[in-house]
Amino acid sequence: MLVELRNIQKSFGKNHVLKDVSLSIKAGEICALLGENGAGKSTLMNILGGIHQPDKGKLYINGAEVNLTGPEQSINMGISFIHQELNLINDLPIYENMFLERDYKKGFKRVQHQKMIQETKEIFERMHVDLDPRMLVKELDSSYKQIIEICRAISMNASVIIMDEPTTSLTDSEIERVFTMMRRLRDQQVGIIFISHKLKEVIEACDTYAVLRDGRLVSEGQVSDVTTKELARFMVGYDVRTDQLVQQRDRGEEILRAEKFTYNAAFSDITFSIHQGEVVGFTGLLGDGRSELFQSIFGANDISSGKLFLYGKEINIHTTMDAVKNGIAYLPRNRKENAIIKDMNILENSAIASWKRHAKWGIIQHSIHQEKLAALQKQLKIRMTDSSNSILNLSGGNQQKVVLAKWLSTDPRILILDNPTQGVDVGAKEDIYDIILRLADEGIGVIILSSEANEILRFCNRTYVMYHGQLQGELKGEAMNEQAIMELATGGDAFISTS
Amino acid sequence: MTEKNINYFHQFILWFKNRWSTSPLFSIFIAFIVMVILQTIVLGFDYPSFGDWFTSWTNNWINILRNNASVAIVALGMTFVIMTGGIDLAVGATLVATGALTMTLLDIGANGFLNAIGITGWTAIFITIIVVILFGYLLGSLIGVTVTRGMVPPFIATLGAMMVFRSVTQHFMQGAAPRVPPEFLQIANFKIGNYMIMPIIYWILIAAVMYYISKRTIFGRQIIAVGSNERAARLSGINVKQVKYRVYALSGILVAIAAIIQVSRIGSMDFAGSGRGMEMDAIAAAVVGGTSMMGGRGFILGTVYGMLIIAVLNNLLNLFGVPPLLRDAFKGMIVIAAVLLQRKEKTA
Repeated sequence: MLVELRNIQKSFGKNHVLKDVSLSIKAGEICALLGENGAGKSTLMNILGGIHQPDKGKLYINGAEVNLTGPEQSINMGISFIHQELNLINDLPIYENMFLERDYKKGFKRVQHQKMIQETKEIFERMHVDLDPRMLVKELDSSYKQIIEICRAISMNASVIIMDEPTTSLTDSEIERVFTMMRRLRDQQVGIIFISHKLKEVIEACDTYAVLRDGRLVSEGQVSDVTTKELARFMVGYDVRTDQLVQQRDRGEEILRAEKFTYNAAFSDITFSIHQGEVVGFTGLLGDGRSELFQSIFGANDISSGKLFLYGKEINIHTTMDAVKNGIAYLPRNRKENAIIKDMNILENSAIASWKRHAKWGIIQHSIHQEKLAALQKQLKIRMTDSSNSILNLSGGNQQKVVLAKWLSTDPRILILDNPTQGVDVGAKEDIYDIILRLADEGIGVIILSSEANEILRFCNRTYVMYHGQLQGELKGEAMNEQAIMELATGGDAFISTS
Repeated sequence: MTEKNINYFHQFILWFKNRWSTSPLFSIFIAFIVMVILQTIVLGFDYPSFGDWFTSWTNNWINILRNNASVAIVALGMTFVIMTGGIDLAVGATLVATGALTMTLLDIGANGFLNAIGITGWTAIFITIIVVILFGYLLGSLIGVTVTRGMVPPFIATLGAMMVFRSVTQHFMQGAAPRVPPEFLQIANFKIGNYMIMPIIYWILIAAVMYYISKRTIFGRQIIAVGSNERAARLSGINVKQVKYRVYALSGILVAIAAIIQVSRIGSMDFAGSGRGMEMDAIAAAVVGGTSMMGGRGFILGTVYGMLIIAVLNNLLNLFGVPPLLRDAFKGMIVIAAVLLQRKEKTA
């Protein structure tokens, strides 16, 4: 047994996060750690990483009991924690990133570049990584950044590597690259703890699984014995539906039309339209320009060119304020950086976009916003105790619902959702899908931006596929399937359908 | 009986600990109270009667408050600027620029502008106040435009403005000896009862308005949003540039008001020395009051306490007979101590 956690308990104040959890990892095993947001995964891993200390319970590494008092100690014991936000410095070359925690700490010694490059090369050879150590990290795509982190862990003699949602921002081919790497690690007798919300990946890449729910271990075993559906049930405690959600509605009048949208290098010559009653997808690989496109439409980049028509009438949008006034709502990707204002409470986060509509003399009418939030709380099933609490007290799914509430309270005519289920657990995901479908029923034009073909296929009536800032094609009906999407997203053009 | 007392005491301790760790304003308020108690003790009780002691104590306090009213008003504007993640180093220079304009407009000598075109008395004073406030707004706007349209970092933009404003003012005011009409002095020196407390009243009124703005208006809340997460604020339909522009313009207006009060208090202004270091005092008051230099977190009430703490400290050092040149050292230590205190409670 490489690492064993026995009867771990941990509370933060009155909040019992871990209630008696035991978990063990063998050498050469990839173990999936599953659970909804708030189930206690992060806390458990932070205990293993030495960041938190358990209230009760014991920790064994290679059979010996240890007491981890800090992250350094944990690293010295051979445990490496690769966080979701990668710990790399973009403006430094790969080899310097490999030695971030170590060589610079030695004080006044001259930095030995040649030695660092040489060691990096050796590790790359061992791990079959074909990269020049002198490249800058910012030139790498996300999967290689992940791989650099893994190599760094190996160079520090890690015997257990914890990977926290490594695939969230990766494309399919990049994910495959990381998986290959993980298998190579397994062959070298490294234990891996793989945290993910994507159950298909778990089945594909992992050997064993452990599911946490409400601070308890509810299930563990061999991945080969379970299906994704069963795993989902373990996580939320009830059966999760996986059926198709596409609904045919009468296609109404045109709501929004964009003509020849161009913004320097990010995207060019994009023309599309959306009608009432439709849920339209925009998909492609990461970095295909779709986020930039819709941020431009929303007025966040003021130097794009192109024409925009709302119900047939041309509109000019120079700032995000103009967009909101015209009934365009944009729920951005990366909630933490782009949507959450951490110094404001839940109510304010939910009302910020509609303050202007209800204000008198520039004075915010909190009571109106309070009522609106209460109504939306029911509709969206937001779980919270008091709207004057900090937004950070909520789980990822509930935070996302508050952001959604912010846009719904502006009464939008067009709702653009950029990666709406990012960092959202299974149960809340289905809630959000339901809301999207209901909005479409009400005649709001809904646009979904997502890299996950599955998500698009489950409830979009039509989808556009982008590739390198170009609109590569449009798919609908029979022609809309995973293979066709991949084909277009990687630059192929076999499946263009003419509407 | 005693057990019950212990219980109450215990509960008080719990309540106190809870407030201390959850409400930043509470700890600042306690710090202020401690300073007041210290000051009262140092002032002593060696008086023939309670009435004498009380008069002396009150007069001391009125002096403290009145002397600090101008800086305190500037600090309120500074708080908004810092809350957006910016800084305004030009307040001291704006103070002399607006002060110079006040005196030039009102001069009862041959060079007096309004005097020359035949406007005198309260009409002249009224016009001057309007024009000077507009001028403060204009100077603040210049900085605001440089920061938002020119994308110049606030530190650089206001550092540059500071040098330009003061240098130009000094150049044009050299050799000038404007005298303001005696009625103008009434603005700050008018006595209510037997007390000269007008500057204090202006301070309280402006603080109340600023408090309301920060708590209840769209502008006030947008400041928090912009300072806390500029990207998210923009993507929530907030015109970030407009918000930033406005905080600098508002800071300019408040500085102009402070200049009017200052000129009216003493009837003159030293264009080389006045307002030097004022930016640092204003920033110190805001920071002691719990405003984060990173933006997103700030309290108008905190800045009021912060100003009071620094003012009482000055008074204490004076009473203790600390040499004047050493006093800034204590001020500096208080600022750092205040931030350390707030840091501790954050991680606890």
